[in-house]
Amino acid sequence: MKAGGLSVTLIESPDIKIIGVGEGTWPTMRSSLEKMGVSETALFRECDAAFKQGGKFAGWTTGAEDDAYYHPLMVPQGFSQVNLVPHWVREGRGLSFCDFVTPQGRLCDDGLAPKTITQGEYRALANYSYHLDAGKFAPFLARHCTDKLGVRHVLADVVQVNQRESGDIEGVLTKQAGEILGDLFIDCSGFSALLLGKTLGVGFKACSDVLFCDTALATQVPYDSPDAPMASQTISTAQAAGWTWDICLPTRRGVGYVYSSRHQSEEAARETLLGYIGPGHEDLPVRKIPIRAGHRETFWKNNCVAVGLASGFLEPLESSAIVLVELSAKLIAEQMPACREVMDIVAKRFNDTTMYRFGRIVDFLKLHYVLTKRTDTAFWRDNVDPATVPDRLRDLLTLWKYQSPWYFDELDRLEEVFPAASYQYVLYGMGFETQVAPEDTVDSAPAAARLLRENERATGEMRARLPTNRELLNKIYQYGLQPV
Amino acid sequence: MTRIVPLNREVHKSLRVDGRASAAYGDNQRFTHVIVNEFPQLVVHYPILFSKDANTGEFYCGVMLGFDEGENLFLEEWRDLQFYRPLGLQRVPFYAHGPEVAIDLDHPRVGVAEGTALFTEHGQPSRYLQRIIWAFQDLDPGIQVTRHFIARLLELKLIEPVDLEAEFDDGRIINCDGLYTVNQDTLLRLPDEAVVELFRRGYLRLIHYMIASLKQFHVLARKKNGHMLKATESLAGVRPSARG
Repeated sequence: MKAGGLSVTLIESPDIKIIGVGEGTWPTMRSSLEKMGVSETALFRECDAAFKQGGKFAGWTTGAEDDAYYHPLMVPQGFSQVNLVPHWVREGRGLSFCDFVTPQGRLCDDGLAPKTITQGEYRALANYSYHLDAGKFAPFLARHCTDKLGVRHVLADVVQVNQRESGDIEGVLTKQAGEILGDLFIDCSGFSALLLGKTLGVGFKACSDVLFCDTALATQVPYDSPDAPMASQTISTAQAAGWTWDICLPTRRGVGYVYSSRHQSEEAARETLLGYIGPGHEDLPVRKIPIRAGHRETFWKNNCVAVGLASGFLEPLESSAIVLVELSAKLIAEQMPACREVMDIVAKRFNDTTMYRFGRIVDFLKLHYVLTKRTDTAFWRDNVDPATVPDRLRDLLTLWKYQSPWYFDELDRLEEVFPAASYQYVLYGMGFETQVAPEDTVDSAPAAARLLRENERATGEMRARLPTNRELLNKIYQYGLQPV
Repeated sequence: MTRIVPLNREVHKSLRVDGRASAAYGDNQRFTHVIVNEFPQLVVHYPILFSKDANTGEFYCGVMLGFDEGENLFLEEWRDLQFYRPLGLQRVPFYAHGPEVAIDLDHPRVGVAEGTALFTEHGQPSRYLQRIIWAFQDLDPGIQVTRHFIARLLELKLIEPVDLEAEFDDGRIINCDGLYTVNQDTLLRLPDEAVVELFRRGYLRLIHYMIASLKQFHVLARKKNGHMLKATESLAGVRPSARG
């Protein structure tokens, strides 16, 4: 980005293929793309993007046929004014927590889009993010950055990293484009962490003692017909030694199985995956992707900061990878050090924030496992072993027996990856019990009653107004979304 | 149902069409399409705004005629031919058919005994039909110009949502959403070459009509108050006062 004398050069190996499995994003992606000046219409047309309105978790609590809950992207009605959890506990009328507080679960049940064709680009009736084809999205963004934002894109392989005496990186020597100098190096080299790990020697902190999944098997499933209905929630179904993802793009489904190789053999895992997909798809090509759960011990050292897989990776249960990339990029852009003198100060802040974020993501992912009541396989039994639960999460779970997480919980950072609302959806989706005293709901009863009426009204109106995902996508292909 | 056929002076020589404004014939619209050619006539009575087509999401220009679904506060003035009636409503039940005019024979306006004849006894277009023919001469190119006008304003980020809220004497507050107007801050900051371009294309004049017409929103709200007052007074048997 050529602003204030700043220039950005992206060095990309022409040979290394992208992983290309990341298909789920967070609603932050909408603001990121809007800020970058990307046309949302072009995103839908060129990246096979579809609407994502949350996650549906099937079989995580008991494994029974009807065991499922939503983690939607809309926060509960009036979240900043009233905590609806105590009201749901006391007078939930048999509704799921999600249906009690937001329309979005029912929109997902009905296969409805989160907006109509008259909402302009990035505007919404129901909060949403995207499912997209990562293989198309990367070059789409690269084109935008080089054409519109003045980024220099060099296709070359880095063969040597040159350092100053201080340890700072002076430049990288490439096979095809000579030496490229820079003031700040952003390590986006993926799992290899070429700059931060290999050159600057920053170690890796594994989290496999908390999160057991270490392998993914990924495939793509065609639709039976081009107008087959599309779900706008990522469907995560608990399996014997992990969980399967199921993501609807307009052209195909992306399906995969994330599992623990300590608990299941690859052959058995393949059978689990194919069993989920169903008969007639035995010949689909399946890719195996190793997952090394964990992150770097520090993220910014000297004049080098790692973003993306180079900084770490956790299983994609809540699509946390891309949102971390966005948050990191935003932090770097907004806190861009004016000179080397202040870089270490900015680096320390960045490290604190990013370490906090990784910690909270680990906690939040573990929450999905630790609340299970399943005992059918060793994978689920091992997951509730207290020794595998981080201290902070353990304390929170104790606290939440007597008070529910809400607005003023400790999850109060300006840009919390998973806000208290997300914890509410998972906790009460999985049947966690918080004790509520009768007096807890007295003062807020009128406000809660108003919010619940509003939720019913909004649910009815949205269900009447919203088109299906497929209908809206077809309209976007034909007419486009308006810029306002 | 619609049954649209090209108008033919032999086949339709004795056909009568009722062209008068009436709720029964579909003039009961609170918002109706207009084209930019009409702006000078519209600005003196109606708020001219942008809205979006419910089916395609695409912008169009329209005028506000009322607040509630099916409410047109100008039916009386239209019946008395006092106020300008938008071409899009004037032309009903006729359609453009290339250079010719077509008619929807199933429209309730068609074949009404007290309607107006389309042709004179000599087989010439009546004054009514002649006005329709002229309307289409304006409408067709006008639709294109309106489309270009909107596209250019979007490129210049000159269209923004507008929050229009009216409070009525019965205590009701109506919030009109889905309406857009010209962003005056962006307009003031336009680079000189864009201003000159808008001026040369005649768009600047149109923009100012739209901005000026926003004042009609309050006039329209007062008009609704007046209608409500008349309704309650006639119910109560009170003579209409000067109010409204």
